[in-house]
Amino acid sequence: MDYVVAVLLPQMLHGLVFGAALGLLALGLTVIFGLLGVMNIAHGELFMLGAYFGIVVIALTQSFWVALVVAPVGVALVGALLEVFTLRPLYKREPLYGLILTFGLALTLREIVREVWGGDMRRILEPIAGSVPLLGMIYPKYRLFLLGASLLLLFGIWLFFTRTRAGIIVRAAVQDAEMLDGLGVDVPRVFTLTFAGSAALAALAGLLLAPIFTVVPTMGVEMILLAFIVVILGGMGSLGGSVLAALIIGEAQSLFSLWMNPQRVAIALFTIMILVLIVRPRGLFGREGVLE
Amino acid sequence: MSSTRFGWRVWVVFAALAVLPAFPFMTGYRLNLAFDALLFGIVAMGLDLLMGYTGLVSFGHAAFLGLGAYSTAILLERGVRSLWLCLLVAIVVVGLYALVVGYFATTRRGIYFALLTLIFAEVVYTFFRYTMTFGGSDGIQGLEAAWVLPAVPASAIDSPLKNYYTVLVLLLLAYVACRVLTDSHFGRVLIAIRENEDRARFLGYNVRRYKMGVCVISALLTGVAGALYPVRLANATPDLLLWTVSGEAIVMVMIGGIGTLVGPVIGGAFFIVLQEEVSTYAPKIYQAVGLSADKGVGLHFLIIGVILVLIVLFMPKGLLGAVRAVGLRRPRSMAPAPAGGSE
Amino acid sequence: MSHPASDGRPILRVEQVSKSFGALAALTRVDLEVRQGEVFSLIGPNGAGKSTLFNVITGLYPPEAGRVLFLGDEITGLAPEAVNRRGIAKTFQITNIFPEISVFDNVRVAAQSRAPEEGRLGALWRVADVGAEVTALLTAFNLAGRADERAHNLSHGEQRYLEICLALATRPRLLLLDEPTAGMTPGETRAATELIRRVAAERGLTVLLIEHDMSVVMGISNRVAVLHFGEKIAEGTPEAIRSDPRVIEAYLGGAD
Repeated sequence: MDYVVAVLLPQMLHGLVFGAALGLLALGLTVIFGLLGVMNIAHGELFMLGAYFGIVVIALTQSFWVALVVAPVGVALVGALLEVFTLRPLYKREPLYGLILTFGLALTLREIVREVWGGDMRRILEPIAGSVPLLGMIYPKYRLFLLGASLLLLFGIWLFFTRTRAGIIVRAAVQDAEMLDGLGVDVPRVFTLTFAGSAALAALAGLLLAPIFTVVPTMGVEMILLAFIVVILGGMGSLGGSVLAALIIGEAQSLFSLWMNPQRVAIALFTIMILVLIVRPRGLFGREGVLE
Repeated sequence: MSSTRFGWRVWVVFAALAVLPAFPFMTGYRLNLAFDALLFGIVAMGLDLLMGYTGLVSFGHAAFLGLGAYSTAILLERGVRSLWLCLLVAIVVVGLYALVVGYFATTRRGIYFALLTLIFAEVVYTFFRYTMTFGGSDGIQGLEAAWVLPAVPASAIDSPLKNYYTVLVLLLLAYVACRVLTDSHFGRVLIAIRENEDRARFLGYNVRRYKMGVCVISALLTGVAGALYPVRLANATPDLLLWTVSGEAIVMVMIGGIGTLVGPVIGGAFFIVLQEEVSTYAPKIYQAVGLSADKGVGLHFLIIGVILVLIVLFMPKGLLGAVRAVGLRRPRSMAPAPAGGSE
Repeated sequence: MSHPASDGRPILRVEQVSKSFGALAALTRVDLEVRQGEVFSLIGPNGAGKSTLFNVITGLYPPEAGRVLFLGDEITGLAPEAVNRRGIAKTFQITNIFPEISVFDNVRVAAQSRAPEEGRLGALWRVADVGAEVTALLTAFNLAGRADERAHNLSHGEQRYLEICLALATRPRLLLLDEPTAGMTPGETRAATELIRRVAAERGLTVLLIEHDMSVVMGISNRVAVLHFGEKIAEGTPEAIRSDPRVIEAYLGGAD
């Protein structure tokens, strides 16, 4: 019983916390893929940018909370600019050009950050310090906040996609991008706004997770792989699927690392992804025939 | 029959490369740089068979490179000194891995194919990075030179000059092999698959088999190049297996000219030289201007990233592709006169 | 209009074939028999399942039920490349050629697929010279003058012809044409129809044709079958079909 409380429960909770934030990240990725047909490798860099913009805002305002609002907006702007100037010309071309381009964007963004802020590890201090007794264990308050914030955001996004006209349109278009043409919607603007939105989500995830991890220019490189696994498992273009898959993967990673070393954990996750890609490439909830 | 439009120009370039070391400015350092440039040229050329001719983007080529390097390193570490044996083992190892990856990756298309190659390569990276027998994150260090002829000390490949000629010969062989392949019926089928895979199927071609075949061939070219790497570096590290290296190979192909075979070699050389020059001089310039030197470390990646974005947007056929488009409008076909076939 | 003689033996038999996509029943227990040498047309409103039937025959999807027999052998569920090698070639409703290579190379790669594949490594490098055959095909379809053009530079009508050349280059015995005159002007359609009829007769081909243009159907077919919502509702000579009340109702009353 001690083991459960002292080790297992916290680890499970860690997994949930991480999974929820991962869900924010993966959600943006899958929406972009479904709507624009682009697998955005630079999504990890937008995640990383959120943390760095957060550092800047915190330095200016001494407030994590202000940063939580301002940084994602800044990254959203960056995202919008990128979409308009680099992605838009590629929509008519084969999707693999988008993949290659976003790789170039990822390199560029990462190195710009390194140029400006240097390659050293940085820290963002937890805005909420201390721990709290919970279910028999002592659990860090900030992580609980992270979980709460992520879930709240996910709920808010769910509301957006199901209750607002804009959201419903975007969600339907993620399933079938061609239907937008018939609706008289300003398609380029929808694309740009959606991309900006997904960038903001990535930035939020990055800033929220920053106090737990260290902030380095390469933090996106590690996350993007995980995000790919989540999106594949959940089903490319499936919103609910990516959130569910994120929670599963976050939990799996957490639990696996109790019993296996990091190498085996990574290989276990990769094996899952390979199996999914081979046996059921549309994942849990994706549409059949997407890019098969 | 080789009907490449570059024809004689390629042989001139090879001749120039062969006499390059005679020039006084080719110091040992520069020869090693040239070695790297040509080596990655081979890697990029192998990838071009897959990307340019068959239309398949692989994000996992680093695995072929690294597996080749590690198999040589492991052999050299254990006292095997024959270059041929190293190459042979690399071919077997990389070939087997490529069969597995190829078998599974070719079940899907487009981005799924790219992701499958990426994930398999990540498994290989993780394996070598964390396995202490192979040196973990440090890799295998301090290797001795390989020998071309057993028991003939002069044949030890232990100088920049010998390194250079070894890779040059390999590049020549690789180029010839690729040309023969792309000019053959096999090559034309690959192009057909790139242009319209479904149509090729309905015309009776077992497309899956062709795709697997080109996967393996592309992998072997990269793997043999990788096998040569420890010959110069005297080590093999897991950094060769990072997926970003796969991305770099793609960059080389795109910059040089996708689907031209020669272009990617140029792209590879460009990348290597740029990387070396920028990472050498940028920190110094930064320090001179008063900035922190460590910021210059990644500048070449920034430049490459920007170049790649610009290339994809404005010059998707790469450098060589742009050159081609200017001069030669005719697609490569025989004139419809009878008896014009070369096959 | 004289029809090429048919010797009456079946070259293709479709028996009780059913195919669904999820909840949508695309084909329901369709029976069909195509005789050697004839021109057989398949008509029906949009969504009736005609292209699906073609896809089942050529192996793109296996049917849920039923069999497909070609020259007496069962080919149900064989992969498309295998079906093609048995002697069935198909054209696509939406032009499906190799855009960036020349017209000549398009047809050549199709013709060279007849080289033996199994275990003959040499065949990968050198294949029999098919230049004459390719030229003959291109000439028959008035494309010889465009042989060096990239395929995507061709006009729509020329691309449809190229589509047919590709299929013919694989030396089939049964040719499946999916709306070959789609998008053609009336003049082009007439010329195409005559061309198809002539080439088929010259080569002793059997033709199974999906068409919407009734003038084509009436002018070229020995027999016609009508599909509606995945079921065959009528079959017979063109004249009989034209006056069949069920057929008239399907076209006028059904969804289009």
